[in-house]
Amino acid sequence: MLFVATASFLLLHAAPGGPFDPMEDRRSAEAQRAMEERYGLHDPLVIQYLRHMGNLVRGDLGVSMRKDRSVNQLIADHGPVSAAVGLMALSFAAIVGVAIGVLAAWRRNTWVDYLMMTIALIGISVPSFVLGPLLVAALSIELGWLPPARVDGPASYILPALTLGVIYLGTIARLARGGMLDALGQDFIRTARAKGLPERVVLWKHALRAGIAPVVTYLGPATAAMISGSFVVEKIFQIPGLGTYFIASIADRDYPVLTGVFVFYATLIVLLNLAVDLAYGVLDPRARRG
Amino acid sequence: MSRESSSGDLLRIGAAVAVAVAACGMPEGDYFGKLDRPVDPTHFRWCNHGDPDFLDPARAASTTSTPLISAMYAGLTTYGPDGNPVPSLATRWEIDDELRTFTFHLRGDARWSNGRALTAYDVAYTALRVAHPLTGSPNSDSINPLKGITGYLTRTVFVLRRDLPPYRAGEVVELAAERAGEAPPAAPDVALRTSSRELALRDLGAPEAAAYARVAAGRPVTLVMTTGGRATPPSPDGAPWAYVFSGPASAGVYGWVPAALLDGEPNGGASLRVRRVLAKHAPGPATPEERAADERATRPVVTASGRDLAHSTDAIGVRVVDARTIVFECADPTPFFVAVTANRALRTAPIEAVSRWPAAWTRPDRIVTSGPLHLTLWEERDRVELVRSPTYWDPAEVRFERMTALAIDDQAAATNIYYTGGCDAMATNWIPSTYLPALNGELRGRPYKDYRVDPYLSIYFLWVQTQKLRDRHLRRALSLAIDRSQVPRFTHGGEMPTSQLTPGASIASLSDRDLAACGVARGDPGVALVMEAGALCYVPPPGLDYDPEAAARELALARKDPSWKEPLEYRYNAGSEAHKQIAEYLQAAWRKIGLRVELVAQEWNSLLADTRAGNFQIARLGNSGTIADTESEFLPLFRCGSPDNRGRYCSQEFERLMEEARTIRDRKARNAVLRRAEAVMLADAPVIPIYVYTQKHLIRPYVRDYSINLVDQTALWRVWLDPAWRPQP
Repeated sequence: MLFVATASFLLLHAAPGGPFDPMEDRRSAEAQRAMEERYGLHDPLVIQYLRHMGNLVRGDLGVSMRKDRSVNQLIADHGPVSAAVGLMALSFAAIVGVAIGVLAAWRRNTWVDYLMMTIALIGISVPSFVLGPLLVAALSIELGWLPPARVDGPASYILPALTLGVIYLGTIARLARGGMLDALGQDFIRTARAKGLPERVVLWKHALRAGIAPVVTYLGPATAAMISGSFVVEKIFQIPGLGTYFIASIADRDYPVLTGVFVFYATLIVLLNLAVDLAYGVLDPRARRG
Repeated sequence: MSRESSSGDLLRIGAAVAVAVAACGMPEGDYFGKLDRPVDPTHFRWCNHGDPDFLDPARAASTTSTPLISAMYAGLTTYGPDGNPVPSLATRWEIDDELRTFTFHLRGDARWSNGRALTAYDVAYTALRVAHPLTGSPNSDSINPLKGITGYLTRTVFVLRRDLPPYRAGEVVELAAERAGEAPPAAPDVALRTSSRELALRDLGAPEAAAYARVAAGRPVTLVMTTGGRATPPSPDGAPWAYVFSGPASAGVYGWVPAALLDGEPNGGASLRVRRVLAKHAPGPATPEERAADERATRPVVTASGRDLAHSTDAIGVRVVDARTIVFECADPTPFFVAVTANRALRTAPIEAVSRWPAAWTRPDRIVTSGPLHLTLWEERDRVELVRSPTYWDPAEVRFERMTALAIDDQAAATNIYYTGGCDAMATNWIPSTYLPALNGELRGRPYKDYRVDPYLSIYFLWVQTQKLRDRHLRRALSLAIDRSQVPRFTHGGEMPTSQLTPGASIASLSDRDLAACGVARGDPGVALVMEAGALCYVPPPGLDYDPEAAARELALARKDPSWKEPLEYRYNAGSEAHKQIAEYLQAAWRKIGLRVELVAQEWNSLLADTRAGNFQIARLGNSGTIADTESEFLPLFRCGSPDNRGRYCSQEFERLMEEARTIRDRKARNAVLRRAEAVMLADAPVIPIYVYTQKHLIRPYVRDYSINLVDQTALWRVWLDPAWRPQP
């Protein structure tokens, strides 16, 4: 975490340009300097760094230079909507992806398997900036079933969640298939079948518990990525989430927002990976003893 | 000239794919936007370019904020349908013969949304606030013409508090440099004060019990202004009051306290070397004799202590005569100053709200407005909701009940929202270029009627770094080699190719009255800039347009100069297909005359930083104007030493002509001299104009009085929706 905070601070300050460089308007050197001094940008870099780290230790991610509001507040305002879309995408991707993977593994090397894996491949290959506008053009512009952009009622979450989830769906399906194939070849499955348990139970209760491990590993960082906001999906669907905010801050050279969001993401990934490790303990009794 | 990130490239591919699919189902009929529901005349929905950066007129710097600020806060003038200023808070004004002193008379029925009367003191406070260094306003440049603004902003001008021979108390002085030509040394802030008692910050004249903030004894505060000044309110009780700021800078609070409580001056003992300012910067009118005396007189430098100096608002050229009369004093003749008063920098800000929450007073529960519309909701990056203000002095001006400004920062999303009926009108130039061939009739043979193309005071040009490419013949060859007439095919927006610098409306499109004012005939080529309808016009001189023989001749002369080498480098901002196509077109044009130029795509902010620093040879940029006046908007780019002069152009002849124009009172004669200056500059080719931008809008047919003008200042509160509109069969 210390490394992330320091590295992001240094890299940002090394990039050319600053937050108050005039863009659309012309600006005099005096006006620009007055704005920069207000945010302490003319203090020596070491002082700025120490101030930044001091704030971080207290949980204060700084104040946005563009918006003059605390970064903590900005994350609190914009994070939830990214998380909402992300969680919907995650649920869709996990449920459908696992289902596809399990089916493919169960009926391996049959047309079912090939069909499922083709679907998965399409999901991984089609980029969101093609899928999103295509879905909008088809379902919104042509058919008028769903709104084209903005979050404004429950129906407006569908297209962004679909677009965001489809990519992860493909990966989850392939991982699930691999894990299930592994699990289905194990002795305890043969035992379960020999005991006369219905195939349904063998598959969904016994094999899945073992076979889901690769998916769970993947879900840690995937969840972090999905709930922290996908820039492309948020831009296409005009979702006021963290993703577009983050990218806009890069262009704006808004140092506090960038370093604050970096630290936030890093923390999220660390926490989710921890959750994944704990989940292993639940899923695989052998891991508990390890 | 919108800033587009490189990811915009990806989205454009996506949009193109979507268009290809949707083009199968392009709407039949006259209108692009769906018209399948009845018109609600009470609610005007507008698709903005994005979220406003601030709704505080002193802090806002984005085109997404300006139209909302113009609607929410009254200015002395506001934007008329043609974008030129019309009376608003001020009902009339006088301008002195020298075009330096502007006296405005305010209406008596103006009120803030909290009921308080809006007076000249509010206007003065607005200007003083923008100029104060602690505000961090990006808009201080707009009021630069006023006396003392730059010095006040940089804390280098002061008012003497006592006699300091040979200077008298009340004179305005400035920090002196050690040696001529250098900048003065940095000085400690003489405005810091402390009190031996706790300070209770409150409104002017309010009792101590009404304080909204308290400052512990001994904590330093910044003294911003005191009662009884040239532009500050009189004392309510006979004793002077002081308006102070208690920091830190981004989380502080302002308030009034009795001045007698401020008994400590932490920097009172500092030593500063000062001298009188030039007469033209001293507040109050300077007679020609005084100014002439300036030329001859020395201005002796004296040593003052912090206690002798006040970082006072009296150093600024603003004076409140009475509650309904305010005078602005400019250092130099400034014919466009009346237009400056419509600018967001001078839109009135409410002192009571700003004082309590300087960084967060524009929340709906705290905001106080003075304009035709009032804020009820601001969902960040989603929308802004405004309602007709009950306290505005002309309620008939607003014909809807509420307005929603949707923040859509993606062009494809905005156009899709317009198409599906989510908004009634879109902000300027917010349609993806991939949609334009469908809208303008290239694809289906006839354009849609709700798609409008209008001229725009904005020009696309190439800067040429004159210190790197010193050879004038080379630069001229670059300009003469380009056949600009082909460029609009890359942009699809009806842009006008040009080799003139100052943009305007095409001469062919002017009214007869304007043609007469401009002194041109309808068949003449090029553009003209109408500064006052039917009365005042500026016709820019022709530039170095396509002439392959002349280009070859100039290049042959240039080849004799060893100061430059091929290949040359042309830079443009990455992320736009059109810029790339234009770059390749220019490269081919130069190759035709035998000149090798390499193309470099660069990220937008890096390009701006590099061009500002002069690290380039040829770079694509451009410029827009917010006032129909080339003297303030376009020609200053070419002044020696200007920070905006990316081409580092410096011509004695150009400077001489600009100085000569500056003091001419008759505006027609002034324009004639400016025209000569522009011609001199164009002949040296520090800049290569390519085309004049157009404004493209999608506006539903039942929207009326959506005034599109050259400076893109649409008075949104005057828009109304016509419930009686019916589609023609």
